[in-house]
Amino acid sequence: MEKQNQPDLEKQDQSTRELTNSLQQKLDYLSTLRQAITAGDDRLVYELIDGDHYHQALLNEESNPTRNAQVDLITDVHPAISHYLSTKLIDYLAHEYPFFYYEETQTGEFQIYFGNWWDRRRFGKLNVLKVAFDFSQEEFNKLQKTFELAAAHKRFNTDQIQKVSAANDELQKLIDAQDDRDAQKEKLRQQLKDNGQRNSLFDSGRIKEERQQIIDELTKLADADEQANNAHATMKDNEAKILTLSKEDTILAYEKQAIESSFKSFENFNERNRSLYVDYLTTLIGKAQVAADDE
Amino acid sequence: MTNETKKIDSATLSTHGKLAMFNEGLKKGLANGEAFTTLMDQLIDTTDGETLLTAAQKLANFKLDSAYVTFPHQYKNADYYLIFMSRLLSMHDDEQATLNTRAHSEALYHVFEALSDDYTFLYSVVAGENGGAYYREQTTGENLFYIHLERRLLRFNSTAFTNLFINKLLLKGTGVDQINTVLATLINFGHYLQDDFGFNVDFNILDVNNAARYELREANLNGEILDKLFVIAAQHDYMLRNSPNGHGAEIDLPGELVVDVFDAGTPEAAKWVLTVRDPEQRVSWFDILLHFDFIRDWYLANIDSLEIKADPLVFA
Repeated sequence: MEKQNQPDLEKQDQSTRELTNSLQQKLDYLSTLRQAITAGDDRLVYELIDGDHYHQALLNEESNPTRNAQVDLITDVHPAISHYLSTKLIDYLAHEYPFFYYEETQTGEFQIYFGNWWDRRRFGKLNVLKVAFDFSQEEFNKLQKTFELAAAHKRFNTDQIQKVSAANDELQKLIDAQDDRDAQKEKLRQQLKDNGQRNSLFDSGRIKEERQQIIDELTKLADADEQANNAHATMKDNEAKILTLSKEDTILAYEKQAIESSFKSFENFNERNRSLYVDYLTTLIGKAQVAADDE
Repeated sequence: MTNETKKIDSATLSTHGKLAMFNEGLKKGLANGEAFTTLMDQLIDTTDGETLLTAAQKLANFKLDSAYVTFPHQYKNADYYLIFMSRLLSMHDDEQATLNTRAHSEALYHVFEALSDDYTFLYSVVAGENGGAYYREQTTGENLFYIHLERRLLRFNSTAFTNLFINKLLLKGTGVDQINTVLATLINFGHYLQDDFGFNVDFNILDVNNAARYELREANLNGEILDKLFVIAAQHDYMLRNSPNGHGAEIDLPGELVVDVFDAGTPEAAKWVLTVRDPEQRVSWFDILLHFDFIRDWYLANIDSLEIKADPLVFA
């Protein structure tokens, strides 16, 4: 009875066999991944989630998309896998990049903070599955510029700070020159009075012109007075600007120092970033080797 | 019969009664003086703490003159606080504060060996119901602390300490050592009151306890103020770090000193505070101000926001 109800393997057609094989491969893939995670074999997990990249990067093999035939099965659990893999990866990064700090904003998503100083910058994201930094382009460019400017003994905002400081110096001069302006106005008013008392039939054009000149001068001084009156508010705004710029310079200087003390140069830093996947996976292979030798 | 006697008595007693009243008044006045001298004996000679405190309390409120007996030579009530303080300090072998008498009068004041005699300290009694007294430097009028003997309460005042010891003295060339000598005596006085009599003491800006939270005048501190510290600290090779515990910042100083500035309030109501931590719990915020120029500059330049709050009940 029972035997009659069993599917007859001999009688299965080709396509059904292919289907069951294909499903078996999927099952194998998933169960290997599950075992790898259970066993804490992060190297194998990386190989499974992007085998093609793994083989190219670590074994110098040609690209072969069939290695990734099953990876679509797990896209929905990528955040969870990322979360799982982050523990060891961040341990490793904490050692190699001691100035980066991470915050998991949602499962498997990691914000990078640069440094532990006051108001440190958000510097982008950590892509755990790809073992790569995804830096914020704007922040990265500022840092790059900082390294370039260092050769000229300049900081990122040196020029701008100088400009705003100079503006403040000018305003201060304007305030300080109030007494001079008052004296000048007094003199001009007297001239205007004298001018009004002169009355010449033949020279009226010249007197009129002179009068206009005096009035123009007085208007200019009145403008300067008004500017001086508003100078305190502007100077305060400028000081706030200088503070913001100095703060940014300080942060960039700390970032630069941090990179130099770990990598010597910005170029080395960038190079390390590019080889991060290979470097990390190599240490995982090394660890697996040591573990195997110990057994 | 009774009515008759009464009549006679009232006539004769009018003179006698007046004399008796006068005599009674004198006796009372003299007894009052006698009581006073007993208290004075205790205040200047006793070696027992509680007796000393009780004598000072009573003398601080003593009315020596009466309707019939007045005394031409008297000390002011405030002076008994000063004598009490001197006695308590000398019972603990602290002789830094010298008790002086003004020439030709009974007025008392303190001078400190470590400071110039231009700076004289005395008590100023608070009029009105609250009572108590301020310990005041005379030329600057700075009230360094408030004391209430009956309520056994002592409150130090950050504003006065900053104005006198930093703005008036340190920034005009007085050495930190000299200032510390005076501070030590004032702080010791607080400790003696605490240990000997169980006073409730708020050391305020002078508190060396690691748990001390110095509350800032601007409860909701503007972030710019910390930006300024960040920049100025970097210029002096110190790093203001992001606070690992919550909203704020901290800075490491030599000698395993850590200064924290953070919001100790609730999400609804910010309350920014400063703390100073050191392994031996010997350093107060005021010590930091005395020793670290860049922090002092920052504190003074932003004093409207950063000033440490003193007890608002006695330092309005």
